Amino acid sequence: MEYRFKGHLVEELYKDYRIKEGMKACMNCGVCTAVCPAAEFYKYNPKNIVNIVARKNEDDMEDLLKSDTIWYCGECMSCVTRCPRANAPGLVIMALRKLSMRSGLYMQSEKGRQQYVVVKDLCSNILNYGYCVYPRTFDYETHKEFGPVGKWINDNLDDLHARMGSNLDGDGPGGLRKIPKESLDQLKNIFDVTGATELMEQVLGDAHEEAVKENLTDEEYFMKVYTENDWEKHLNH
Amino acid sequence: MIIEGKQKIWADYQKDIPDDHYFYVRSCIRQAFWPGSEVTFLDITRNKLGKDFYENPYHTTCGGIAYHSDTIPQETAMTIIARQFALMHESGYENYVCSCITSFGCYTETLETWHEYPELEAKIRQYLWDSCKKEFAKPKYLAHASDIIYKFRFEIAKQMKFPLVNVKTGKPLKVVEHIGCHYSKMFPSKGFGGAEYPHVLVGMIEAWGGEVVDYPERRQCCGFGFRQYFVQANRGYSESNTHKKFESMEPYEPDMIITNCPGCPYFLDRWQYVIAEQTGKTYGKNGYGIPALTYEEVAGLVMGYDPWDLGLQMHQVAIEPLLEKMGIPYDPKKKYQGLNGKDLGQPMCPSCIKSV
Amino acid sequence: MKENILIIGGGAAGIEAATQLQKMGLTPIIVEKSEKLGGHIAQWDRLFPAFHPAKDVVGQMLDNVKGVDVRLNTEVADIKRDTDGFKATLSDNATIDAKAVVLATGFDLFKAERKQEYGYGIYNNVITSLELEKFFRTGKDERIGNPKKIGFVHCVGARDVKVGNTYCSKVCCTTALKQACEMKEVFPNAEVYTFYMDLRMFGPGYEDLYLRTQKDFDVKCIRGRVCEVSEDMDGRLVIKAEDTLFGKPLKMTLDLLVLMCSMEKAKSIDKIQQQLGIANNNDGFMQIKDTYLGMNGTAKDGVFVAGTCTAPKSLPDTIAEARSVAVEVFNYINNK
Repeated sequence: MEYRFKGHLVEELYKDYRIKEGMKACMNCGVCTAVCPAAEFYKYNPKNIVNIVARKNEDDMEDLLKSDTIWYCGECMSCVTRCPRANAPGLVIMALRKLSMRSGLYMQSEKGRQQYVVVKDLCSNILNYGYCVYPRTFDYETHKEFGPVGKWINDNLDDLHARMGSNLDGDGPGGLRKIPKESLDQLKNIFDVTGATELMEQVLGDAHEEAVKENLTDEEYFMKVYTENDWEKHLNH
Repeated sequence: MIIEGKQKIWADYQKDIPDDHYFYVRSCIRQAFWPGSEVTFLDITRNKLGKDFYENPYHTTCGGIAYHSDTIPQETAMTIIARQFALMHESGYENYVCSCITSFGCYTETLETWHEYPELEAKIRQYLWDSCKKEFAKPKYLAHASDIIYKFRFEIAKQMKFPLVNVKTGKPLKVVEHIGCHYSKMFPSKGFGGAEYPHVLVGMIEAWGGEVVDYPERRQCCGFGFRQYFVQANRGYSESNTHKKFESMEPYEPDMIITNCPGCPYFLDRWQYVIAEQTGKTYGKNGYGIPALTYEEVAGLVMGYDPWDLGLQMHQVAIEPLLEKMGIPYDPKKKYQGLNGKDLGQPMCPSCIKSV
Repeated sequence: MKENILIIGGGAAGIEAATQLQKMGLTPIIVEKSEKLGGHIAQWDRLFPAFHPAKDVVGQMLDNVKGVDVRLNTEVADIKRDTDGFKATLSDNATIDAKAVVLATGFDLFKAERKQEYGYGIYNNVITSLELEKFFRTGKDERIGNPKKIGFVHCVGARDVKVGNTYCSKVCCTTALKQACEMKEVFPNAEVYTFYMDLRMFGPGYEDLYLRTQKDFDVKCIRGRVCEVSEDMDGRLVIKAEDTLFGKPLKMTLDLLVLMCSMEKAKSIDKIQQQLGIANNNDGFMQIKDTYLGMNGTAKDGVFVAGTCTAPKSLPDTIAEARSVAVEVFNYINNK
């Protein structure tokens, strides 16, 4: 199987500043796994991930980047507080995820393929509205946990925010204001210059390719990836 | 429990917060889900405490949620942050206050990483110039908005109308304090009280007459998990973590939860609704849940703001039992109204948890 | 006139050094800040690896040191070098002129409240190894009722960059297993667990102790560092750790938790140490002249060190160093 950085995964990983920050040396004490919420619920063990990264074996690295394992972490950073060697498994995970995406290996795992959802939703929110989360794109149907009050909020969005004193889509300062075009243009430039656009286009492209392979429209593929969950495989039970 | 042990730890982790002239940046989640909180925060600080809080309308998201969902590279997040710092500098400020906890974590991480690796800071300077033709200066002080309320908690107590006390029994309310993970877990010295016994919310509770509840899963993440929530298939992770916390705090019968991260109260509130619908169980008494409030909402309640101006109608868990415990008057008819009494209908009631 | 050797510290190192120096015809003078000789070891109940009563060893050492000039309840307030050696002013205003100084000031136990997540000083049922040893000796500690489940936490204040001590404190593993066995003797129906990263059983008979701990005393050794401690509604302790050999996180409710605290250099000597110009090493202990052939020497002529003021060590290590410092001092005095 061909993929970007083949044969150089370890080398590429170690360029990430989060590896420089997060990989000092592990003494296998287990406090990170002890406190980790993902380790409690998922078949996940941050200590083992750090050990694999430390071994610097190219084949093991490929397996790791293809796996669901690196996608279980919730990035709460509880591991960072406690590690007696000042490692940061949470940061190591972020570096692994980035490499998994850039190499394309993320498409080999169910949880990896979900990156299509977050890249599409969050990047479009940032570029279109200047916010990571924007109420008009937070729909009730796909977020039923928002609750009946959430449905009411969405149904009365403009009135409610006016009552609350927000400045929804308005000019000037205030909550949920319309971000000036100049700022949105600058965010786009930042995306272009720092590689976010490239990453985003790659992920959207990978998803489209996969959708075509599976004979699905982009929307159908989105919903598939959004909901598909082989929970028996993932859960610690 | 020996409280003196905790007090000594709090004394060790004090941080310098300046007195005035703050550059305020908003939170994507707080302004969307808890708009009343940011409005109240600015009203308290500007009008009740007389502070200068400046908001530059060109500021944007810090990108923190996207960064922690692994959708943008670290360099992108850092450059967006550098742009925010440039706006602060252009506006003539040096005290940076952010409303979101993930933001606070990202700003702190960025500054610390630049300190360790100056070549990365130089690279980001170049990226900012190439993309925006801007130059930045690092803030002299970086604080989270809850640090400001913490700093002025005694001034707020002086203007307090409704202390955190149960008016029927005269006893202090039992308050669970929930700190956002990105406040001090990565850099304990950057949070009041460090990472093990953070003091930023404890200080508020105690200044305002309440009693802090310690329970085994107190330090546990609420479970947001970024991609673990945004992708529906992963949401069980998020719910499970919140569920674990509620199971742990239940025997202590807390009256309310106070939070400083904008995401946490969303999860602590909404997952109670989901747990009730899935299992029939509620954690408050008589089919009610435990209200999970932002610290701005709590500050507003004690200072006598109208609950519906604070935005408490935007929570799923009913706030009314708490209002009654505190002796705060409220008009049930106005709960779901818009401006000038406009009728906006009402949300449906969930089947297994009370919402009024 | 017999040559005075000022020995600061009346614990095991100071006593043994003085005993030997007296036999060699010199005049050791022990200055001890507490009310009696014996230091930490006098507070111990039984010694590893074979549960030997500490008071036997201490008693023998105190016998041997009879006749030596001892100043109890006294500290060295000031010290300076003069043409003949050193002039020390004591806290009772007496002065001592000495040809050489031996720093045998020993250790302080790591203050367990610094490891905040273990809740020492916050949760009632968290105690230190020293407090447990006192319980074995006196039978009294109001926190120890009738515990059914007891845990021992290794490496508290050691091997931990977060509290500032990255070194290993050497003896806590052996002490933990010894105390775990002794706990089973007092509470035979209790479940006793130790939570370790490594089991450093470095000396003669120590691996046998490990075997006995598991086989004869049924102590369960779990390989995983305790991550955090909290208290439940009943005042019992809830700990989180990873059972690393199974690769799974675990949570356990215990009645009592014993923290194996590391040794740190005793700080009360700091001012005198500075006056003598003796630096600390990276671990915060006194800097010795050389690892292999200079463990009793320092950078300064005439100033010698012995015992746990230079590094964590066991009682046999300390006694050996005390005897070797006597040889070093003797040779120094006689210009050899």
